[in-house]
Amino acid sequence: MAFLDNSGDIILDAVLTDTGRLRLAQGDGSFKITKFALGDDEINYGLYNKNHSSGSAYYDLEILQTPVLEAFTNNTSNLKSKLVTISRTNILYMPSLKLNKTVKYTGISTANGGPGDNQEGKSLTFARYGASQSGANYNSSADVTADRFFIAVDQDTWDAIYQYRTNQSSTNTPFAQSNYRTDGLLQGFNVGSDTAQQWDLIRVDQGIDTTQLPPAVGLDSDLLETAFIIESDYRLGRIKPPDANTPTAVNFIDDDNIATYYLTDNKYVNPAGKAHPAATNTKPEQDKFSGNNPQVFDGPRGTTLHFRVHASQELQQSTYLFTQIGNSQLATATGNICGFPSSGSPNFGDNFVKDKTIYWIDTTVRVVGANTGYRLDIPVRYIKVK
Amino acid sequence: MARSFKQLLGDDVKNTRTLLHESIPITGTISSGTYDDNNIKNFSHGMFQNVYDYPYLSSSANHIFDITFGYSSAISASTHTQNSKKLNVYNQMAQTLVGYTTSSAIRTFDSDGDYGGDDSQGRMYECFFLNFSRLLIKDEIKKNTFRLKMYTSGSVNDGGSQASTPTLTELQTLGDYKSATQFRTSPAGDYGLIFTSSADGNNTGSVGLIFYQAGVAVLTSSIFQEQFGTNTTSRHKGYYDGDTTTKGPLGLGLMRGVQAAITSSTIQSMADGFRHTIDSIDFNNTIELNSTIYFCRINHNEFNYSSNPTFTSAGRLVVKNNVTDLPVTYITTVGLYSPDNELLAVAKLSEPIRKDPNTELTLRVRLDY
Repeated sequence: MAFLDNSGDIILDAVLTDTGRLRLAQGDGSFKITKFALGDDEINYGLYNKNHSSGSAYYDLEILQTPVLEAFTNNTSNLKSKLVTISRTNILYMPSLKLNKTVKYTGISTANGGPGDNQEGKSLTFARYGASQSGANYNSSADVTADRFFIAVDQDTWDAIYQYRTNQSSTNTPFAQSNYRTDGLLQGFNVGSDTAQQWDLIRVDQGIDTTQLPPAVGLDSDLLETAFIIESDYRLGRIKPPDANTPTAVNFIDDDNIATYYLTDNKYVNPAGKAHPAATNTKPEQDKFSGNNPQVFDGPRGTTLHFRVHASQELQQSTYLFTQIGNSQLATATGNICGFPSSGSPNFGDNFVKDKTIYWIDTTVRVVGANTGYRLDIPVRYIKVK
Repeated sequence: MARSFKQLLGDDVKNTRTLLHESIPITGTISSGTYDDNNIKNFSHGMFQNVYDYPYLSSSANHIFDITFGYSSAISASTHTQNSKKLNVYNQMAQTLVGYTTSSAIRTFDSDGDYGGDDSQGRMYECFFLNFSRLLIKDEIKKNTFRLKMYTSGSVNDGGSQASTPTLTELQTLGDYKSATQFRTSPAGDYGLIFTSSADGNNTGSVGLIFYQAGVAVLTSSIFQEQFGTNTTSRHKGYYDGDTTTKGPLGLGLMRGVQAAITSSTIQSMADGFRHTIDSIDFNNTIELNSTIYFCRINHNEFNYSSNPTFTSAGRLVVKNNVTDLPVTYITTVGLYSPDNELLAVAKLSEPIRKDPNTELTLRVRLDY
């Protein structure tokens, strides 16, 4: 995409997006423009020098010289950051969205005011600990971490990663039940009666990232996000709440198979009846649960969004898409992405990964504040062991 | 409540129609020499000839017009070269452009444009057809802009320049001189008369028709006098019936009158001859733009904050020192959305525009269809 000529008069370069053209071609009246938004994708406000020695006329000199790219026709590539209307002008702090990767609830009992084990899941990116548990029976497995959420597309995959057979036992033992962790592994399938076994989820928090305002100040009502938009690849997965296996209804699917969900109800936004991980401004969490601070904002906190990802039927029952747009490796390959041992574990793999292949697809799930326009891309990895 | 969308009201959306015109100059050398005929595409059926603006085997080449020739059943004879094809070409063009009589017979082209009654004046029984590509004419040729400069008498060199011998050459500028105020309609849309000058008062001097929406010029073969074609010694252009005894492969290009060529030359040879007489073609095309204009009105108290991650540092606005400072944002993009928040169109400003609570803006976004 080239830059626009900015040597003369200000011009507007307008194009229909691919979705716009699709809707126009459909001729069913779905091409209807009713509102607009403004974006500033190219602007780096860090260039705003409010202490410029030559005066205020020079504060934004560099910003105004920013070259602007031509319009993209891909509808999801434009307006990554929107301008926001807030009628008052005395705002000095603005909230943003953050992926919460600190929520750990295992071990916080109801007696201590926590939700109790297995009552609310973790929002952690993938980690699987085996080798570091020296002295235990898991030492043939490697420690693996990845800065993304793993979505097990079927029960076999989840069993292979989440459970582990000790080399002294013929019993499959879940890590969590033995106090050894597998984090950030979402159940992307219908788990039926095993729902309570592990409820890993993805949590996004809204808040002000500052130490200059205490949480108790709270977030002004006009800054509070009440709805979230999630965009994800519909070929790969759906969005479902933390405590149910039924994916939520999709708002629309665009020409590139990007599904958009508009979430407002309390299954997703500040889930009702959950002491955690809904944010609280009354006190920092660390005051309540030492060492288990689920908050990512030091300042006032707004709403939280909780969701899980359900793998599509194509991913659950076939490896086709994995071979088309993903990757694969042998489950016993050295340094494999799941941390399965390559050798030395006589009982390992009998049930789960022996002679199997790990398939995966890396993608992102995008969360956008429907009112504030803040956007967050969350990396996820759909994974299948077959 | 913070919000990032603004509804467009009834007064903010306006539909307009605009006619745009482009000048299309075609030099004669394109059709007769620059590319050594590599931009001329002939077909095995021999019914017409394509002219490209570049050697047609290149992906950069654009088809600009076709040349063909045909005559009516009034003069057809089975002994003529490609008799049925010439007849078919004429009838096809006549069916499409001038239609049928009340008795369902195919009409004959009429140079004075009068198809009423049994008018027999000005009938064109032998015609050259110039079919211009839609790439050039777009929606239609603008009236009173069509000009065709060509050598209508004698022979010409490659490139359309006047030959040194024989000297019977005449460069004429044909055009639809009267069409600004006088044009007619046909089954194929509006058409005008082509004259050799603007001085003809009663249309009797019309030598052809120009169909504006169809982008077709029809010229009577009688505009050519004496020799027709080219006298090049290196190739056989124009009239050439394969008779190497009268016109050898490297001969002097002996010419015959166009009437002889009509009966004894192929359509391809006729097209070759015609394009070598072209000095230039000029016209203006017309593009009909139907537009919707969206007036995006931005009030002083709107869009003064941003969700851009660089807009804050540690949660604090980087453009403000204290609470009383005014926020400022910079607009680079306008997105037009459906009711369900799907981005349908996007417009980019050529440079960022500053927005703060002291300014109001109206951005005018036009979508053309």
